[in-house]
Amino acid sequence: MSIFEYNGSAVVAMVGKNCFAIASDRRLGVQLQTIATDFQRISKIHDRVFIALSGLATDVQTLYQRLVFRHKLYQLREERDMKPETFASLVSAILYEKRFGPYLCQPVIAGLGEDEKPFICTMDSIGAKELAKDFVVSGTASESLYGACEAMYKPDMEAEELFETISQALLSSVDRDCLSGWGGHVYVVTPTEIKERILKGRMD
Amino acid sequence: MKLDTSGFETSMPTIGFGSSNDMLDGFSTVPSFDLPRTTDFDGFQKEAVQMVKPAKGTTTLAFIFKEGVMVAADSRASMGGYISSQSVKKIIEINPYMLGTMAGGAADCQFWHRNLGIKCRLHELANKRRISVSGASKLLANMLYSYRGMGLSVGTMIAGWDETGPGLYYVDNEGGRLKGDRFSVGSGSPYAYGVLDSGYKFDMSVEEASELARRSIYHATFRDGASGGVASVYHVGSNGWTKLSGDDVGELHYHYYPVPPAIAEQVMEEAAAE
Repeated sequence: MSIFEYNGSAVVAMVGKNCFAIASDRRLGVQLQTIATDFQRISKIHDRVFIALSGLATDVQTLYQRLVFRHKLYQLREERDMKPETFASLVSAILYEKRFGPYLCQPVIAGLGEDEKPFICTMDSIGAKELAKDFVVSGTASESLYGACEAMYKPDMEAEELFETISQALLSSVDRDCLSGWGGHVYVVTPTEIKERILKGRMD
Repeated sequence: MKLDTSGFETSMPTIGFGSSNDMLDGFSTVPSFDLPRTTDFDGFQKEAVQMVKPAKGTTTLAFIFKEGVMVAADSRASMGGYISSQSVKKIIEINPYMLGTMAGGAADCQFWHRNLGIKCRLHELANKRRISVSGASKLLANMLYSYRGMGLSVGTMIAGWDETGPGLYYVDNEGGRLKGDRFSVGSGSPYAYGVLDSGYKFDMSVEEASELARRSIYHATFRDGASGGVASVYHVGSNGWTKLSGDDVGELHYHYYPVPPAIAEQVMEEAAAE
């Protein structure tokens, strides 16, 4: 198994009508052994930008701390929050800085930009940005996730329907992966509220 | 290397009333394994061995207690990280009073268990009495020993009831054969052993033993990524084996550890001031 599969992860983000949803599994493992079932992969940068990191868990935590630091500096200097597009460029630059000794994670960034327009993108471990209009996936279960999202996604879904869709896609995909699952964590963000939910999934 | 091909010879006579009988054609020829014709035989063999390497991603267990033998297993088949099936039958019914468990390569286990079943039946017919568990496991161990180093992947337990009472043997592809009271095989076995060893008593009733077996498999599926699906539990008694339960492990978790209904909290954010 490769180093990206050492801890196991599954992350997905989807775009809806003036809202977005970002979801991850909750397992932290050491190859086949499960260590924790409440690992935080999704982090809030500010109220309208979320980042979820898949891959090696130590790099997930360190990279998240570095990004929060950079965003806080930005807030002090500019006296405002970062736009999601800007944040994505920041992440890409930070990852490429380590081109020859990379952070072993693949981020998924989701945010609400100008005019409440939802923005999602994913990157590989050295910062290649991949923008999408519908959904992005990352992690050990990514192939199953691509299939499930492709089948279940519809454009312009409202928040509740989006929540159902992303939850079903996540749970059915991690049920085909030994290294991710053990529950789910979903954030649905609209211009007026952030709804965080824990999913009850198969614990095997 | 002298291969033990006695497993392949059948003593069925070819029935030919003049014309060939289509149904029996498959049985009348003696099956044999061809050796591959390559320039690099050793390299080819090494690749073949590596192919079946999937390090026995499974959890199976069996133990002897007052009322017989309890056998349990999960039902997940994995290829690396991908789950190829959640509904594999890992407890193989060799004959009505003997069970075998499957760990390792599925094809290897299925073939050799069926082969063992054939040999056991032949023994019954030749000797007018059932084969003992000790004898059956010895037959299997000897067959596997003759293929040692060729890349078979079999980690099995033979459980049964014969004239001496309940019997349990562990047999693997190295040709090892161990007699014992308690075994667990597979990547999830350390977790199953933890629960099994702490809850085991010889004087258990069938219900207590089946609950212990089920719980052990459940805990192994929780911690081990390569185990999951359905926890099947079988009991082998003096009248042969019976299947006691087949519970989906996903539901078992919430049965053992129900989630208290949580109060939903919503985070209301101020509408973005533009």
